Order: sequence, then C-alpha cells, then structure tokens
Amino acid sequence: MNHGPLKELLLQHRPEFWAQLQALTRSARDFEELFFLSSLRKKAHARELSPMKPPPAKLRLAMLGGYSLYPLREFIEHLCEVESLPIELWQGDYDNYVSEIMDDGNELHAFAPQVVFLLPAERRCVYTGKLTDPRSLAQTAAQHVVDSLLELTQKAHEKTGAEIITTNFMLPARHDLGAFRARTLGSDWSFRKWVNLELGLAAPPYLHICDWEFLAHRLGGLAACDERSWFESKQPGSPALLVALAREAAQLILALRRAPKKVLVLDLDNTLWGGVVADDGLEGIELGDTSPRGEAFKAFQKYIASLKQRGVLLAVCSKNDLARAAEPFEKHPDMVLKMEDFVCFQANWEPKSENLRAMASELNLGLDSLVFVDDNPAEIEIVRQFVPEVTTILLGPNPSDYVAQLADCRLFEPRSITGEDAERTSQYRSAAQRQALEASVTDMAAYLETLQMEAIITEFTPVDVPRLSQLINKSNQFNLTTRRRSEAEVIAVMNAPEEIGFSVRLKDRFGDHGLISIVVGTHAGETLQIDTWLMSCRVLKRGVEAEVLNELVRLAKVLNCQRLLGTFLPTPKNEMVRDFYGQMGFTLTIESEMKREFELRLENFQPIPTKIKIARRAYEHWHG
Amino acid sequence: MNQAEVITQLQTIFDAVFLEPVVLTPAISAKDVPEWDSLMHISLMVSVEKAFNVRFRVGEVENAKNVGEFVNLIIKRQLEP
Repeated sequence: MNHGPLKELLLQHRPEFWAQLQALTRSARDFEELFFLSSLRKKAHARELSPMKPPPAKLRLAMLGGYSLYPLREFIEHLCEVESLPIELWQGDYDNYVSEIMDDGNELHAFAPQVVFLLPAERRCVYTGKLTDPRSLAQTAAQHVVDSLLELTQKAHEKTGAEIITTNFMLPARHDLGAFRARTLGSDWSFRKWVNLELGLAAPPYLHICDWEFLAHRLGGLAACDERSWFESKQPGSPALLVALAREAAQLILALRRAPKKVLVLDLDNTLWGGVVADDGLEGIELGDTSPRGEAFKAFQKYIASLKQRGVLLAVCSKNDLARAAEPFEKHPDMVLKMEDFVCFQANWEPKSENLRAMASELNLGLDSLVFVDDNPAEIEIVRQFVPEVTTILLGPNPSDYVAQLADCRLFEPRSITGEDAERTSQYRSAAQRQALEASVTDMAAYLETLQMEAIITEFTPVDVPRLSQLINKSNQFNLTTRRRSEAEVIAVMNAPEEIGFSVRLKDRFGDHGLISIVVGTHAGETLQIDTWLMSCRVLKRGVEAEVLNELVRLAKVLNCQRLLGTFLPTPKNEMVRDFYGQMGFTLTIESEMKREFELRLENFQPIPTKIKIARRAYEHWHG
Repeated sequence: MNQAEVITQLQTIFDAVFLEPVVLTPAISAKDVPEWDSLMHISLMVSVEKAFNVRFRVGEVENAKNVGEFVNLIIKRQLEP
C-alpha cells in the first residue's frame, strides 16, 4: 500500500486527487487501506479541495441496529461519496432500533431518510427452546423472527417512504454441536439458515437484503467473526467483514439510483476460444471438451449465454476478417454462442474504440452502457484512453478464471428480473431489421404506416412499479429532467392526489417494445407542471412523443388546467432534447445555464396526428 | 524492534490518519489529541495490529496510559511466538 502519490496530489491541492482516490478506493480490499483513504478524503474536505461543481445532492441515509455502527458507517459514507453520491447520515443509538422505528414523532421520522440501513441483532435470532424440541416448535419460532423483522421494516418503510436495506444473519463458524447441528432446527446454524431463506423469499420490493450470510461465507466464517471486537466495542464482526458489509451496503444504495450495464462486448480470439482463428484455422482453435483449456472456454461461453438469458445484450468487437471471425459461429460444433445471440457483430481492422462508438450509436445507447472484455492489455488501454465512458474488463492469463472475473464484476446485477429483460435481445434485433426497412422506404409517413404501431397508455399501476423505476433510473438521453425515483417514490406518485403519472407501451409488426415512455406531472390550479418526461431512444421519431403530448393535453383539460409547463434540465447526456419543447410548440419563458422553462397554452392546441393506434388511454375511470 | 523504531512506524500511521499533525512522544496520550476519540481509536488499533503484525488481548489496550506504555505493549506482543 503506497499512498505517497495520492497524498502529494492532496498537498498540491490538485483536483485529480478525486479521480485517484476513486480508483484506489475501488481496488482497496483491506480495512487499513480503506481507513487511510477515508481519512485522506476527510483531509481533502478540511483543505476545501472540492470534488465536483456543482456538488451532487446528498442522499439521506439512516443507519440503525444492534451493533456499534462505527467504523462501518464511515466506510459506507466513503464508498458512496467517491462514487459521486455523498451521504447525509443519521445514526441510531446502539441497539435501540426497534423503538426508533416503532415510536411516532421521533428523530428518525423527522430526518426523513431516503434509505434506511438496518442491522438487526444476531443474538435475537436464536431458538430458546430445547434442541430436541419437535421441528414444528422451532419452525414457529423462526417464522416469528422473520415476521417481526418484516413487520419492523414495513413500519420503517410506511412511516418514512424510504427504501429499506436490512442485513440477515451470520451463521456460526464453530464446531459446536458437531454433526447434530444439521439435524435440528434448534441449532443456531439451522435456525438462522431457515430465517435467512424465508426472509429473502418473503421480502417485498422496497426491502433489500444485505446478505451477511453470503458475505461471511465468501470471506470464510472464521475470518468473518471476531469475538474480541464484540466485547471491546460491539462490532458486527472482523475488520474484513466490516469492509465486505460496507461494500455490499454501498453497492445496494448506489444500485437504487443507477442502472446496471446493458451490453457485454466481447473480443473473440483467446476470449471466446483459445488461439487465433485466422492463424490456427477452425480445427486449430481450443474449444470444447477435448482439452482442459477448451473446456474452460466453453464454460465461459455458457456463462455468457446465461447473462443473455437474464437480459444482458451481447456484442462482438474483434480485430479480424469478418468471414474468418464468423466461421466458428457457423461451423464449430462446440460453440455455445451463435450469431443470432449478438445484437451487433463487428469484426474489422478499425480501432476498437471507434467500433465501440459506432456500436453505441447503432444501438441508440450511451457509451456508459457498454462493458468491453478483452484478453489483450493493449486493446483495453486504447479503449480506456479514447472511450473512457466504456467500462473495461481485462481478462487474466488463465481461461479457467474468466467466468469468475465476470461473475464478480458486479456490473450486470438485476434488482428484480422483469419479463421484458429477457425479451430485450429480440427487441434490439428487430430494431436492426426495422432500420433495414427504413432505408428502403423513402417516405417517412409511409414507412411509419407500414409498421402498424399500437400503443397502450396506462396510469401508474402497482404491477408496473419495478419496470417504471428501472426505466426512470436508467434513461439518460431522451430525459427532460433526469429526476430519478426509487420504487417507493414511484408508489408515492400513485398515492399523491395532485400528481399524475402514466406510461406508454408500444408494439409494431416486428415486435413488442414494452414500456418505453414515462411522464409525471403535478397539477395546481390552472397549471399542469411536467415533472418528468422520458422515452427510450429505441422508439425515436415514431410519433410517440406527439401521442404523449396529446395525452398530456387531454388529461390537463380533464383536470381543468389552462396550460402545460415543461422544464429542461441539462445533463452531459440529454442534449438531444434541449429544444424538444420548442419543437413541440411550447414557448420558451425562462432560459439560464441551469435550466430552460417552457409553456404551452391549451386553448388553441390541436392533437398532433400520428401513425400510432392508441388502444387504451390513462385514467379511463375519470370523466372527461 | 526497540521503542524508538516502534514510535517512528506509529508516527507514519498517525500522519496518514489524523487531519492535524501529531508528534508522538512516549508521554503523549489520547486525551492530548482531540481527534483521537474512542471511535477513531477502534480503526487506529486495527491498523496498528496489521502494521506490526500483532494481536492484542481483550481489553489490554485501554490499560495503556500513554503512547510509551502502548509501545511497550506492541513490543511485548511482538516477542510472543
């Protein structure tokens, strides 16, 4: 561990300090290292070396539980802050979490947390009866622990509207009870396993499990526990466990606000198979069950196929002749991945950085949606330098480690798998077919006509909540205000009488696009203020924007409003909608660097004609 | 390691952690350093144990009245097999 250069940057008051701090923090695995980095961060604040202008809004996090929460809380603050999500923290008293949540009108509620992180006391997750009691008795007791925790987290959620993260329970790592521990539900081992399992399976959408059982398992049970630190300062576990818990909690908190990556871009030679297909020939590459290396590459392909199954898009970016690169996919009997598994296949001699740019624009995705995997450090370096928005993974020298490298990368973790995720590859593939059709049809209106589009407009519904929150948190380009909302915050819109929210689903003769546009508005008096308007770029220039405006005006009139107000808040990614309101007939009223505001009077508005058939409209139970 | 060597290595840890510079002497103690509170102490001890490759027994660190006694404790635990 050498932080000399980092300290030097701090002493010289150089803003590069923050990027360096972030890089070192990401790779830090030891307690001491994280502690030093966090101390340096605090020194930087004391010296007023400011990280970003303007500083991002703070996330209000409440931490409470049956343990001492320092230094855990400092690590969580540090890990979130270096990822540009500074934390405003409220900390409960030691082991006072039940009354902090249950009592009305106390500090926790006044703090109005957006996220609550709870660490319930392990010592209360035990069976107090006899080891020889019938299974049903112990099971009832275990169910009671689960129910109490679910009830407690539900209360916390209902009173504050916050997303809730709770730890589950660590299993004992000592030999006590011997083989008998597995034969009774009364042992701490079996009891906690049962509680953890039921808790996870019964958790409602707002409840996220910080899986202590898993984290300790990954670390090693003995390495995770530390009796001395419990006696001395009521720590949850060993220093190594604190780091693992803090990293997991930060990961969960950040995931509430950020989208997972969308596309896995793969090199070919020595990535999907051993050897170089253009040199070694189809018969010469290592792939399949005839050699250990061949098995390892095949296992890697199987893992990649499982990612596709989850909804990750696959693409190829290889320095190769297209014909040679395609050959194994068409002819090799042990290839798991097939051509049709990829939404984009680039095998040419252009720099990979340029290919990745082209790929992102072809798929209508931001560069930061891409993860690029290669075994060649030089290719990885080119991508890091020229398209730093792309996340890169440099595969190590040993193909048997490839699966582990991807499985631990933490970039493709679903929060909740929606049915539409699995459909995504076919959506993007038919987008490519549509582009081919678009090229052949010169008259745009005639082209749109041939698509036979049909839209369903729906007010926010409970069943859509995960998908709504997912799209709200990942949409960047066609997004007028980029206001993020957790599932709990989407539900809050549904329940607020002054707010309206609707979504649009679109299908055409090539496939179902699923839920592609979301609007949130607030009405007061004669004004309907558009809080959020976003759309998936896959359906640009199809008329959806116009139908959304038609619907907004229709609803505004039902609500007796005279005008729509729209705001554009610029971000590095939403330049494409800078003049959107103007293009839709709104009048610019306020213009500054931070925002642009627009107004549309409703009295003279005529619905804009499109080629989309509207099969259903929002709030159909309203009169109007 | 002798007392002076231990203090020199301790000094580098303190320099990395505390915002205000602290000059360690055998006579100095936690109450002389405003930042050295009971919370900071927990993280500090983890770092010290790692740096010196020692493990203190339960409760014994708090018996050390000043840096000098703490340094003696580090040396004593280092000499253990």
